[in-house]
Amino acid sequence: MSLQIERRAEPSSLMRVAAPLIATLLTLVVSSIMFALIGHNPLDTLFAFFVAPLLSMNGLSEWLLKASPLILIACGLAIGFRANVWNIGAEGQLVVGAIAASGVGLFYPDPESPLLLPLMFLAGMAGGMAWAAVPAFLRARMNTNEILVTLMMTYIATLLLSLLVHGPWRDPDGFNYPQTALLPNAAMFSYFDATYRLNTSIFITVIAVVAMWFFTERSFFGYKMSVGGAAPLAARYAGFKESGSVWLGLLISGGVAGIAGMAEASGPLGQLSAQISPGYGFAAIIVAFIGRLNAFGIVLGGLLLSLLYLGGEAVQLSMGLPSAVTSIFQGMLLFFLLASDFLIFYRIGRPVAAQGGT
Amino acid sequence: MIKSTRRDFLKYSAAAGAALGTAGLSNLALADEVLKVGAVYVSPISEIGWTKQHSLGVDAIKAAMGNKVEVTTIDSIFKPQDAERVFREMASNGNKLIFGTSFSHGTPMQKVAPRFPKVAFEHCSGIRHMKNLGTFEAKYFEGTYVAGVAAGHMSKSAKIGFIGGFPIPDIVGPANALLLGAQSVNPDMTCSVIFLNSWFDPGKEKEAANTLISQGCDIICSMTDTATGVQVAGEKGAWSIGYASDMAKFGNGKHLTAFTLDWSSVYVSAAKAVAAGTWKTSERWQGLADGVVTMSPLNSALPADAVAQVTKAQKDIVAGTLHPFAGEIKDQAGKVRAAAGATLSTGDIRGINWFVNGVVGKLG
Repeated sequence: MSLQIERRAEPSSLMRVAAPLIATLLTLVVSSIMFALIGHNPLDTLFAFFVAPLLSMNGLSEWLLKASPLILIACGLAIGFRANVWNIGAEGQLVVGAIAASGVGLFYPDPESPLLLPLMFLAGMAGGMAWAAVPAFLRARMNTNEILVTLMMTYIATLLLSLLVHGPWRDPDGFNYPQTALLPNAAMFSYFDATYRLNTSIFITVIAVVAMWFFTERSFFGYKMSVGGAAPLAARYAGFKESGSVWLGLLISGGVAGIAGMAEASGPLGQLSAQISPGYGFAAIIVAFIGRLNAFGIVLGGLLLSLLYLGGEAVQLSMGLPSAVTSIFQGMLLFFLLASDFLIFYRIGRPVAAQGGT
Repeated sequence: MIKSTRRDFLKYSAAAGAALGTAGLSNLALADEVLKVGAVYVSPISEIGWTKQHSLGVDAIKAAMGNKVEVTTIDSIFKPQDAERVFREMASNGNKLIFGTSFSHGTPMQKVAPRFPKVAFEHCSGIRHMKNLGTFEAKYFEGTYVAGVAAGHMSKSAKIGFIGGFPIPDIVGPANALLLGAQSVNPDMTCSVIFLNSWFDPGKEKEAANTLISQGCDIICSMTDTATGVQVAGEKGAWSIGYASDMAKFGNGKHLTAFTLDWSSVYVSAAKAVAAGTWKTSERWQGLADGVVTMSPLNSALPADAVAQVTKAQKDIVAGTLHPFAGEIKDQAGKVRAAAGATLSTGDIRGINWFVNGVVGKLG
């Protein structure tokens, strides 16, 4: 006997709202059992995971600081994803953006210049775009699979970074360790309050969210791209060119990822080293899908994923839970979220007899 | 879903505020007696390896100070952005002594330390120290030199294979010393080097070890956070040299020796000094003589003359009569880096970014 997956004729609109709640509930139930099994009070653990990290100003600042690049990158990616342009390589575009921006920050002749930060912003964006332009060209001209190309470009970006910090950009006073000198002060975003790490680059994310909402919901081009993604044949019939979507989807997502890389370099990092991204480019793909490719959904998704990171650290620190347990918990939540999403659109049932099951 | 979390947040925050308030008071009351110590690990604590040895140092603090100390640890913190958050969190939670155990923790610690002038920070493998940020590091190269002497005796092909995490001086120096030790027995020895650009990537490490063995290397030494190099060597019948922990049980009888790390003295002395109020920032670089680097038992297959020579090298390094980087030392290009009778300076060793003559491979 076998099971088969079939598309639902009409996804239930009630379930579309209820699914995330059900997923959360399932996560809470299953994780409570897990916490209880390893000898921790489930309520205390959940409190330490989700609430305690946000009870201080520092916690809130860290929450937004970590969510900001995730949301920023996911906004760019979602525009492409809506048009079936699969940029999996935001991580690489982020790295190249950080490299380009830091290059300006380190070698611009006047390190005090107020122009430094805007120039770095442009350099970061251009770097990310340039990295995404390669797969865009290959897809638009030669129909190369952009999933593979963007992913492989990520490895090249990481190696390029490694080459620079081990070689020509290495801090001359740094005992040959693989990191650059610190960026000058004019190259850094300013803090809201010197006690906390949150910096003014958060405004870039806010603007990006609004812009993304406007582009996808209110602009004609955004509409064209969505149609191209949902119904390619209809779009072609209406005279919408696919290559335009490919270029735009990749350049926007690449440029935005590059800006996120610049904001990391000019924010929490302050220098380049061989490892600069905690996987933001990949995590943002999850954020984009949790947020259902919608601007405000992405904000919630980014905040959730960021809280999962902070909560995972918090329960390690306060309750001594091993990091593996927190990874399981994070995986469980994402699994239930994505699975319930899937079940909105598909159902699993027995095959109809006429089709002949074995 | 986020909404419900936020509602819960509002609901619980008052209760939590009260709870935190009382917790803060009880901490104050105990402040005279219990020292809070934090340690940040770069990877999970496993059976062997870098982080395991640091966790033994933390255990030594607990053993030495008992209920006078309360320890908080967190693992798998590697990226600088995350590290800075964790160090801040630990410092603001009342920890008076905080250990960072990875080079990537350096810049974050340098940023956090000035904000918490009353907290003592100790950074393993650090290069910059501050008023309340001390650094400590092991002279791995002393251990690899001694292991190299054993390798020089046991290698038939006169080829060593070395696998390193990253091409940083703390790995490049030991790779050089390993070959110099081997060349002290057999001047024809060479050493092929592969870097993984990761501390923990068993798949890549296995591939690297296989490559080196197929190139004829019959001694494998791997400075990463796994026992993979030792395991692969054992399976393929090559000798192996363990790092950080004694890895004999992974070596299928082919584990020559390991240069192991024992940080207990560093951890305990720092904790006692902070408790006594006498802690001062310092820069420590300790090796065989201090017991921070130790050699694990030699493989019984080593002939008596080899054992004698290995033991003598170890004794001479401890006594200070033998220095692994004593001249004459030439680099890969044949340029003399230390003349006969001279020794590389401490600064030169800590920042070493070149390979000695006989190393096959490139940096990075």
